[in-house]
Amino acid sequence: MFTLKKVNFIDLISYPDLTIEKRKASFIIGESGTGKSTLLKLLNGTVSATSGEIFYNGENIENLDPVELRREVLLAGQNAYLFDRTIEENFDTFYKYRDLLPLENEKKTQYLKTLCVPFELDAQCSILSGGEKQRVFIAICLSFNPKVLLLDEPTSALDDATAHNVIKSVKEYCKKNDITLIIVSHSKEIIETHADVIIKLTANKKMSIRNEK
Amino acid sequence: MDDIITINLWQFAIVYAVLIVILIIMKKCNVKKTKLLFIASLRMTVQLVLAGLVLTFILDNQHWGFTVGYLILMTGFAIGMVLWRNKTLNLKFKFIIASSLAVTGLAMVTFFVIAIVGADFFDARYTIPLAGMIIGNAMTGLTLGLRSFREQLKSNKAQIEALINIGATPKKILIPFVNRGIETAILPSLQSMLGMGIISLPGMMTGQILSGTSPQTAILYQIAILITISGVVALSVFLSLFLGYRTLYNKRCQIAS
Repeated sequence: MFTLKKVNFIDLISYPDLTIEKRKASFIIGESGTGKSTLLKLLNGTVSATSGEIFYNGENIENLDPVELRREVLLAGQNAYLFDRTIEENFDTFYKYRDLLPLENEKKTQYLKTLCVPFELDAQCSILSGGEKQRVFIAICLSFNPKVLLLDEPTSALDDATAHNVIKSVKEYCKKNDITLIIVSHSKEIIETHADVIIKLTANKKMSIRNEK
Repeated sequence: MDDIITINLWQFAIVYAVLIVILIIMKKCNVKKTKLLFIASLRMTVQLVLAGLVLTFILDNQHWGFTVGYLILMTGFAIGMVLWRNKTLNLKFKFIIASSLAVTGLAMVTFFVIAIVGADFFDARYTIPLAGMIIGNAMTGLTLGLRSFREQLKSNKAQIEALINIGATPKKILIPFVNRGIETAILPSLQSMLGMGIISLPGMMTGQILSGTSPQTAILYQIAILITISGVVALSVFLSLFLGYRTLYNKRCQIAS
């Protein structure tokens, strides 16, 4: 699905040539500063490589419409953002920004359940904890049904049990709906349990890919 | 109308005693801006004395070149002041701000002098003071609008990043900040209209009445200048922000941080 060739980002990070497969849950791991988050941004075109090429389904992503690409390859960043409104209004506001009609409330509730945050839709987001906000935000992202979902440390604010449940549930949903999942994570347990493929980035441009399943 | 009372220089000097009152209050309230008070008062005095001398010369030696030169200088200073407060903006955005201020400012001065007053555009007596009010207010409005726009960009970084990541267009993301910037710039002009004539007699009207113009004429000038000022603020801020925000993202729809 994605192929990277000699990709370099502002002379700070050089990526090894790699391929990310379709319909799998690929986990990107590595120490801080190895460019894990930047890789996700490169994949959905919110930053461009200084040199090298990235191909998405065989097309150089620099030749694709950037907004269309981001709608297909959607990134839920490390800092989840929600408006100071109710959960329902947050869904509607994000949909408005995407020029879409509001989602039916039943479906909103369903996505919240998938992310293990079964709150009422009229709950104010300002009173949610960091981890809850993150999950509501991912629920909104998932509801757009992208072809690729990029998650940057989605479980950083969660306890182990909730983290496992969330990743398991999201992975199941993605499998069922043909969504490729690419996750940056630091949690060894999560990775060992849920990764189909592990991509390890290192500072010296070496990389190892391990197919877990 | 009575003859105008010319202020005696010695009597005039008494007004500087008010500065001492300000200084005492500042000391008492621990407002550490003594240097600013001193510099601002001195700069104002020197700048206005110089402007007075130049204007006296220009009015005594009417020539279209002086009027045009003064207008260019005034516009240049106004642009410089706005850009000085927005040093970190990209070059394209700065160029748009400068052009918007110059074009809308000079267009509104031309409109006011020729269409409203019916005077000769090169008559320094009308064009220079009116241009000062129009361009000066455009400068203040632009400064306010840009400050609001940039503060919103800064405080809503997380929102902008999240929306870009999910595939919202930069236009859709940034336009609300443009709209709020324009609103912030226009509001003071509109609010000052509300209190006009009741709470305050504005500077231009007061000046005209003091110099012997009938209040009826002064009122017409004042109404016209207030509407023109609101217009120039709206136009210059609208053009600057509406064209300028597009310089904040590239062809790949990546917003510069």
